[in-house]
Amino acid sequence: MMTRCTRFRVLCFGGLLALMLLAAGCAATRDTKGRPLTTLNPRGVQAQKIDDLVTPVFAVAGVVFILINGAILFLIFRFRRRRDDVDGVNEPVQMHGNPRLEWAWTILPAIVLASLAVGNVKTLWSLEDRDADPLKVEVTGQQWWWEFRYDVDNDGKADIITPNQMVIPVGRQVAVSIRSNDVIHSFWIPALNGKKDAVPGRTHPWSLEADQPGIYEGQCTEFCGLSHGYMRMQVRALSVDDYNAWVAEQTKPAVDPAVSNIDATAGRATFKAQCAQCHQVNGFDETGKATDGTPNNDYRGDKHPLTSRNAPNLTHLMSRQRFAGNMFDLHLDGKTDGAVNESEVGAWLRNPSLKKPMAADQNRGMPNLGLTEEQIHNLVAYLSTLK
Amino acid sequence: MALIEARTPLAIESGSPASMVDHPMGVFARPTAYQKGWKSWITTVDHKRIGIMYGIGAMFFFIVGGSEALLIRAQLARPGQKVLSADLYNQVFTMHGVTMVFLVVMPMAAAFANYLLPLQIGARDVAFPRLNAFSFWCWLFGALFFNTSWFLGGGADGGWFNYAPNNGVLFSPSHGIDFYVFGLQIAGIASLVSAINLIVTVVNLRAPGMTWFKMPVFTWMALITQFLLLFALPVITVALFLLMFDRQFGSNFFNAANGGDPLLWQHLFWIFGHPEVYILVLPSFGIVSEIIPTFSRKPIFGYPFMVFSGIAIGFMGWGVWAHHMFASGLGPMSVTAFSLSTMFIAVPTGVKILNWLATMYGGRLRFTVAMKFAIGLVGLFTIGGLSGVTHAFAPADTQQTDTYYIVAHFHYVLFGGALMGLFAGMYFWWPKIFGHFLSEKIGNWHFWLMVIGMNLTFGPMHILGLQGMSRRIFTYSENEGFDFWNMVASVGAFILAVGMLLFMWNMVTSYRKHRRDPIDVGPDPWDARSLEWMIPSPAPEHNFDEIPVITELDEFWHRKYGHDEEGRPVRIAETLDVTQRGTAHPHLPSPSYWPVVLAAGLPFIGYGIIFQFWWAVLGGVVLLTGFMGWVIEPSTDPEAGHGDDQGHDDGDAHDGDAHDGDAAIGGSDAVGALVAGDAAAAAESSASTEETSGD
Repeated sequence: MMTRCTRFRVLCFGGLLALMLLAAGCAATRDTKGRPLTTLNPRGVQAQKIDDLVTPVFAVAGVVFILINGAILFLIFRFRRRRDDVDGVNEPVQMHGNPRLEWAWTILPAIVLASLAVGNVKTLWSLEDRDADPLKVEVTGQQWWWEFRYDVDNDGKADIITPNQMVIPVGRQVAVSIRSNDVIHSFWIPALNGKKDAVPGRTHPWSLEADQPGIYEGQCTEFCGLSHGYMRMQVRALSVDDYNAWVAEQTKPAVDPAVSNIDATAGRATFKAQCAQCHQVNGFDETGKATDGTPNNDYRGDKHPLTSRNAPNLTHLMSRQRFAGNMFDLHLDGKTDGAVNESEVGAWLRNPSLKKPMAADQNRGMPNLGLTEEQIHNLVAYLSTLK
Repeated sequence: MALIEARTPLAIESGSPASMVDHPMGVFARPTAYQKGWKSWITTVDHKRIGIMYGIGAMFFFIVGGSEALLIRAQLARPGQKVLSADLYNQVFTMHGVTMVFLVVMPMAAAFANYLLPLQIGARDVAFPRLNAFSFWCWLFGALFFNTSWFLGGGADGGWFNYAPNNGVLFSPSHGIDFYVFGLQIAGIASLVSAINLIVTVVNLRAPGMTWFKMPVFTWMALITQFLLLFALPVITVALFLLMFDRQFGSNFFNAANGGDPLLWQHLFWIFGHPEVYILVLPSFGIVSEIIPTFSRKPIFGYPFMVFSGIAIGFMGWGVWAHHMFASGLGPMSVTAFSLSTMFIAVPTGVKILNWLATMYGGRLRFTVAMKFAIGLVGLFTIGGLSGVTHAFAPADTQQTDTYYIVAHFHYVLFGGALMGLFAGMYFWWPKIFGHFLSEKIGNWHFWLMVIGMNLTFGPMHILGLQGMSRRIFTYSENEGFDFWNMVASVGAFILAVGMLLFMWNMVTSYRKHRRDPIDVGPDPWDARSLEWMIPSPAPEHNFDEIPVITELDEFWHRKYGHDEEGRPVRIAETLDVTQRGTAHPHLPSPSYWPVVLAAGLPFIGYGIIFQFWWAVLGGVVLLTGFMGWVIEPSTDPEAGHGDDQGHDDGDAHDGDAHDGDAAIGGSDAVGALVAGDAAAAAESSASTEETSGD
């Protein structure tokens, strides 16, 4: 009875162990399919370095785990009190310790760790390496979306201002400077590199380099208030030619909708009256007056930190796939450049806080503008012309 | 009567007019030592009752924090759940974290430290019994104050780490974070005062002959914990004060726009926060270091290594705080330094694990529920320790930090480590504390549900984290691949909840069974090793009839067992011949109203600063009244008898004091008695007093 019971317990414990190993095995699969944020499938230079460092560490940790828990199982089984044991007869030898053994298992792990530490320090510093001519992108976090600025002609003024999706060429290092306009956020594209915090008042250098074209998802990873969970971003890596085409497209001002497109024209009027208060569309200013078509780098006082009074630049809205912190599909049927997803965009305009938790009454996030259905329809028509 | 240590009474005791003693400040009649009912609990200064109250308080908040955890898991069970709004979710995970750290694990560990330290070192009470009561009430009122935020506009919503500037008024305009600030300040006073109290106790009140290296390992670990508290709490206090100034008075310590630095908060918080991890887990290490030897029938393997590795963890714990900030932009040089220091803190921790295993090696293991929980700690904490090593590698940490991998890691450390140890301690010391066993049968179910539930809940979080699931997100989308393991984790959480319900049920039925059919568990139900098992169960109010004179580590064991030439134990005395009867009636510190009065003023000051100034005035008046009453009240009521019904015997009223209340340390005599030799001499002389005064 006793032994059966004990065997049962050992089985339980062993089964549990097996379960955990199985789980670890699942975790180790490097399949990205359906796991857009996985850290285990590096697609960039930096992420690869980290992966190379951590794989042997996981292996060592796994071996130690098996040794320790195996030892526990062994001890439980081998030294359990048996039914025929009698107190006072053949009791355990009172061992008080064995200094030589104990020094050994103090020093041995220290040596293992020290050898792993070499790789650690090497990787750590190699992640600081910067190419001679990287692409420079300024990244700014604010509640609850990311903005990317490109200074294409190196005149100190951003020529492309775009939210949510950072577009980069493959095979070229991107030197990112990370800032925040309000609270601390953290910029993280797991397939390309680890994360780096965006801290108000500081600029943090960081680098990315994608090996191959594709879309790499990201998520803000420093708790930043109400909609932290809905603060996402992505990196779209393009071949060099596609990237250059993208730059050419993005540096153009917005094209006015055709006069025949009555809805869109009406929508543009509403946009100028309401939305332009916060959202920039290159080509006119917040009062609706025409400008030279380059983005205003300090629209609505972007550069004044600590309150989010500015909003995403919408000049080339439809060139992106999602909106509102990279949360909702802009295009129908999940396509990357199809017809506008009127129900999603319309619902957003009707009451943004229902789609994404925000605190508009405290100047954080988009307020409910109380638009009529007609205005919403027209605005969607206008927005869908912002290609 | 056994008169153990001669003490010089405080001057005030002999000089104060009797009327003042009876009615200090003319408000209350002084409580007498042997009152029954709730009043005796409110006014008690007995370290054992205070320990029990810490335990009850911690269990209550465990239910609160556990319910919050279940809400979190319900919300995350499936993608896009709407159990909680984003706002409420942020409050719930914040309150869950703060509650579990400050209102569950810390007070539960404090319960054991309070109850056991004096018993394990052979003392009659802690050094400052009234301060001890004050600590408890301060903690309780701070904890209740903090949780009243639920009814006064919502809980804190900045996370337990509460990073600036998200903790500022601009970004968190509700009062939740104000409650966090004042609640933790008040509870912090409790921890600080109790740290000083327990350090003084261990330093000064050890039984004659108990040198540092004859102290039980639990006493050592609890002592190290108290030192960590002593140095860590002032740091969080500074941070909380700065935050209070920022929030209440518009200062700019953390406001980057006006030259402040948000990273200042992170440094202050983690300089406190990392030692805090060891504050949470070291007491449990101490507990299993008592349990494993007892149920292996062997002494702890490598006592000096156990002690020194604890001390090493205590020291190194101060040099690793910035590993919480590898993504904060410290620069590669600092990151390198902290990454290396963090890797090597694994060494002393590993030593502990291996020494526990070596203690079991060659033993005769009895798998009581206490032993199971203790072994559970060794296995589960190992997982937490190993995942900790993986993110000591700073580049790896930039992938792992602020993901569920970290959530998994610290739950293996705090649930698999701290809580498993505390449960082990409960099953182990329950008979000592309450005079009856917890049911082993229900305990078994409790243990297995805990282990299975805990692995189902937190195991998958490793996977989720490595698959890129961020912490503190109120929901996730179905196309992110997080669905399956989140559902598993949620199921696991509810299994844990069932386990906890079983534990509650165990407490209730075991007590009922004991009431119906009392069985004397005797002083030493487990054939254990340290001094607390020498005295009756439950421990009598005065602890020891006679303070034992210590000659060995594991003194009590060595009074029961010698060993043969092979080193196997041989019984040399029957247990009941070397245990005490608990029949003496030494004079004990008198109960007092003032600790609870003094502590009651503090939350009102908090409410006052948050809402309406006049509450603070009221709180201030209560506080000052408490101070005044305390100051003019002698620690030991000279009018009080010995607590027995035979009336008061003036002749040995003062001589009979174990430790003369709060005055014990005040007199130079008491400090002189610190030296073990002196104390032994005192014990001898008091033994002779007993002979001469016996009538």
